Amino acid sequence: MKAHAKIGLLALLALALMALAAVLLLRSQGGSGTVARISLDGKVVAELDLSAVEGRWETTFTGRSGLSNLVAAENGKIWVEEADCPDQICVKQGPAGAAPVICLPNKLIIEIVEGGDGLDAQAG
Amino acid sequence: MGRTLVRKLTALALTGALALSLTGCGVQQKPAETRIFAMDTVMSLTVYGKDGQQAMDRAVDTIYRMDRTLSATDSASAVFELNNGAGEWVDMDPEAASLLDEALQLGEITGGALDVTAYSAVKSWGFTTGSYRVPDAQELRTLAEHIDYSAVEVDAEGARARLPKGMSLDLGAVAKGRTGDLLARQLQEEGISSALLDLGQSSIQAVGGKPDGSAWRIGLQDPAGQGYLAVVELEDMAMGTSGGYQRFFEHSGEVYWHILDPDTAAPARTGLGSVTVVSPSGLLCDGLSTALFVMGEARGTQFWRDHPELPFDVIFVREDGSVALTAGLEEAFSLAPGYEDREVTLLT
Repeated sequence: MKAHAKIGLLALLALALMALAAVLLLRSQGGSGTVARISLDGKVVAELDLSAVEGRWETTFTGRSGLSNLVAAENGKIWVEEADCPDQICVKQGPAGAAPVICLPNKLIIEIVEGGDGLDAQAG
Repeated sequence: MGRTLVRKLTALALTGALALSLTGCGVQQKPAETRIFAMDTVMSLTVYGKDGQQAMDRAVDTIYRMDRTLSATDSASAVFELNNGAGEWVDMDPEAASLLDEALQLGEITGGALDVTAYSAVKSWGFTTGSYRVPDAQELRTLAEHIDYSAVEVDAEGARARLPKGMSLDLGAVAKGRTGDLLARQLQEEGISSALLDLGQSSIQAVGGKPDGSAWRIGLQDPAGQGYLAVVELEDMAMGTSGGYQRFFEHSGEVYWHILDPDTAAPARTGLGSVTVVSPSGLLCDGLSTALFVMGEARGTQFWRDHPELPFDVIFVREDGSVALTAGLEEAFSLAPGYEDREVTLLT
């Protein structure tokens, strides 16, 4: 094979590989499940793909404050089931959605980072 | 080497080039984002633009500064000094003095429905400590006697104020809205044209719209439930919400919330679940949402009619779940999925 033909072929192969990569990249950008991120004391401690949860998921998070939150997830939703903070605002809030669920005394935040309802913030 | 192979590779390469250019179109500008704890709540900032990170860092500094300056509980703040003084003139941060002055003006315009001196009553109910209690009728009368915004004197130019002994005030009803206005101006001066500032959900400030030109979509909390009952589109606008559900306690089967009627020193019960004000001014949104909750829908709507010089619109969510909103919001407002059957009244 002549030299310039080889170079030409290599160039085409490189482009072809890029094509494959691009197609794979496009495929992965679509349709991920709803992902919830839980952070405690400012650090992310868990990420959960809510669409992949089978049945009911529950975990207790205890922060530096000494307070605990029992977080539950089921049917694509995640919420604080029980907490021992004084005003129970996190429990009353219900499932995380456009607004994250927050336990201020325990610095626990549950937010939806992927999927969700197309809102930019929740007022109220 | 076959021509066919070359042709196939060329076709694949061209497809690849096309696909690559498509992924390029799909990649959006990444905003600078942060979440901080300030003013007793969680705030989320989203700032788009080349200098977004720098602008956002400066915004965070401003928030912390405002928090320290306006705090009623920080012993170094002028508000604390006013509340614990003996009625003498207290020097204040010019920012705090100016905000107090505006809060008192709002007090006057709203006929006292917004009254920053309701703070002592709010404390007596336990809303600042979490040690909730229900004051008896005599205590409520005494508390109500010490609620009177007109007794506060402010010298905005001299940056000082005076408060009669036995009264106390706080700027909680206007601090976040004012901070939102400050931040919006700062960001715009730095060339930012797209940002969303969620200052604890009760105060939201939108700078411009989203980078693609569409408006920011803000969900409005259902006072009775846990989801959002409506969507409000915001562009270069602020939004403030006041509702009993934001801070309340239950005692002997009755619910008591933190929005007090200045005349009675007891929770304002006007048949409303929440009031949301939309205006280019964050301060107006913040202060008026409280005032209109206290006034109730009828008085509040009349106030809206009587003050065309104040640029605002309002959404009343009543206790029964129905909604009333003033005409200026008709385009921006829509009911959320699942709430399409809610009665919506347009106020004119």
